[in-house]
Amino acid sequence: MESAYIFGLNQKKLIRTNNITVKYGEIEIKFPNINLDYGGQLLIIGKSGSGKTSLLNILGGLLSAESGNILVNDIDIFSLSNKKRDKFRGQQIGFVFQTPHFIKSLSVNDNLKFSQYMSSKINQSKIDMLLKKVDLNHLKNASIQNLSEGEKQRISIIRALVNQPSIIFADEPTSALDDNSCNNVVDLLTNLSRENNTTLVIVTHDKRIKDKFPNQINLNDF
Amino acid sequence: MIFKLAWRNIITRPLSSGLSAVLLSSSIMVIVLSMLTMKQMKSKFNENANKIDLVVGAKGSRLQSVLCNVFHIDYPNGNIKLNEVGFLFKHPFVKSAIPISLGDSYKKHRIIGTNPNFITQIYNGSISKGNFFNEPLEVVIGANVAAKLKLDIGDSFSGSHGIEESTHDHEDFPYRIVGVLSPTGEIIDQLIVTSLESVWQVHPHNDKKGSFDLKTAEEHDHHSHDHKSEVSENNKEVTAVLVNYNSPRAKFSIPGIVNQKNALMGAEPAIEIKQLLDLIEPAVNVIYVLSLFIFGLSLFSIVVTLLNSMKDRKYEISMMRVGGASVRLIFISIILEGFFIGLLGSVSGLILGHSIMGIMARFLNLKYNYQFSGMVFDSLELVLLFVTILIGMTAAIFPAIAAYRLDISKTLKNKT
Repeated sequence: MESAYIFGLNQKKLIRTNNITVKYGEIEIKFPNINLDYGGQLLIIGKSGSGKTSLLNILGGLLSAESGNILVNDIDIFSLSNKKRDKFRGQQIGFVFQTPHFIKSLSVNDNLKFSQYMSSKINQSKIDMLLKKVDLNHLKNASIQNLSEGEKQRISIIRALVNQPSIIFADEPTSALDDNSCNNVVDLLTNLSRENNTTLVIVTHDKRIKDKFPNQINLNDF
Repeated sequence: MIFKLAWRNIITRPLSSGLSAVLLSSSIMVIVLSMLTMKQMKSKFNENANKIDLVVGAKGSRLQSVLCNVFHIDYPNGNIKLNEVGFLFKHPFVKSAIPISLGDSYKKHRIIGTNPNFITQIYNGSISKGNFFNEPLEVVIGANVAAKLKLDIGDSFSGSHGIEESTHDHEDFPYRIVGVLSPTGEIIDQLIVTSLESVWQVHPHNDKKGSFDLKTAEEHDHHSHDHKSEVSENNKEVTAVLVNYNSPRAKFSIPGIVNQKNALMGAEPAIEIKQLLDLIEPAVNVIYVLSLFIFGLSLFSIVVTLLNSMKDRKYEISMMRVGGASVRLIFISIILEGFFIGLLGSVSGLILGHSIMGIMARFLNLKYNYQFSGMVFDSLELVLLFVTILIGMTAAIFPAIAAYRLDISKTLKNKT
């Protein structure tokens, strides 16, 4: 079965995938074709083992697909050399994971600065502005290890945005959070990505956020 | 930023990084300490050994004769009759023959009976204050003696019999300071120099003892001699004669003539010191090998430390890769950690080595009468610094490769 999900009316799409498959031993997972507009928001849901994270990793250039191709910003990311793909990822893509990991030896500010350093565009005012938005400016110079899990997740959202990427991929960003924090994180992600005109793709099995996204793909259907 | 990251990664793991740095530092310290001690010892020994071609003294140990009469750190073999070495003063191959007589000291500074040539010819010394001695019991003192004992022209003191362990004071024969020598950085700075006549006057019966009893009180029968009596010309004794040649042929003839005489022995400082250093060298080499072993251990420790650190940091390394860090950047950041451990270890090792040398110098100055110093540097230290840093970086290659090979997607899948 070949299926295509087209989100948005623009001709020019930020993400276009074509017949992506991934193989784990004898098992092959086929993914639907996705066409997503600039600034769009998409929720990919599915139960465990449906390949949500694999799809996200393939879209983000972290995992090679068995077959098919992915165009992000009209660039076939797997045709790029490793070095160029790393740079492309640093500049164009932001990631948010269920468990936020940071460079433990650095402060909050230095972690964010290091993210900018990796994409060669240090912009302290952008960091300050984002920290203010999430009310964490007072923790700017704190050690990342002293933050609560909720604070770390908010900082990880900022980290995903500091380079003004075209897309944010969020992998189960709310699964470990209580209802209140879950709503806060989703609101933060959707609002900040909208304000920055950044496309947002979330993969999750968290049913609490299902109703917040009109554009959805359910991998259980495949 | 990458430097900051590597540095922060080192200092936030003070125990493991510190252990590697301390091991490196210890080995560097031992190497530097051995190197500086040997360098200064060799330089001082060779420098002084080359000032004198032959030491003519009483039969016994040649090395002891050289150590006592040239370096002033050992006891004399005994005395020799002045008239037996008389031929040396007129021999055509001899440029200078300077007799010296030892036996007394003042507050651990040796009193040398000799003539002013001892100061001017051997040590190129000069008077900074006052004059050379003219009369018996007049002395000139080395610069360090003056500074340390706060002595000046016109001051008097009584010598003690013996060199390090005094048996009694010669209170009847007070010495009077008539001159202070300019500092030379040589052993002369530590000596008190007087005329031979002074020594003969203080020890008129040394011919009966055969040698000044320098070691113990038991050997010295203080009451058996009369200090007031005069020494007859035939009984005049000295401890040694320091000879310099004026012809290369002297090297082949003078020692032979001297050694043929029953009571005399010739010792060539250059040969004796070379033999002494050859004896010390294997011990120093053992220390070098030991420090190289610690060095190897510290490199192993760097590898283990960084590997463990990689294990702890695999999620953050994966996040760095996700954030766009190239494998090259990750590789460089870990090599930089090796660089910092190497830098910390080598710099602290060099500082420690020089500091301990500085402390040891105080003891060595007293023991060997030479100015050892912690502020002496060797170009090899720079090589050591670079090699250590290089090796620290090399040790980081293996952990860096482990980080380089990290599968980001698999790592994050296990904990996202």
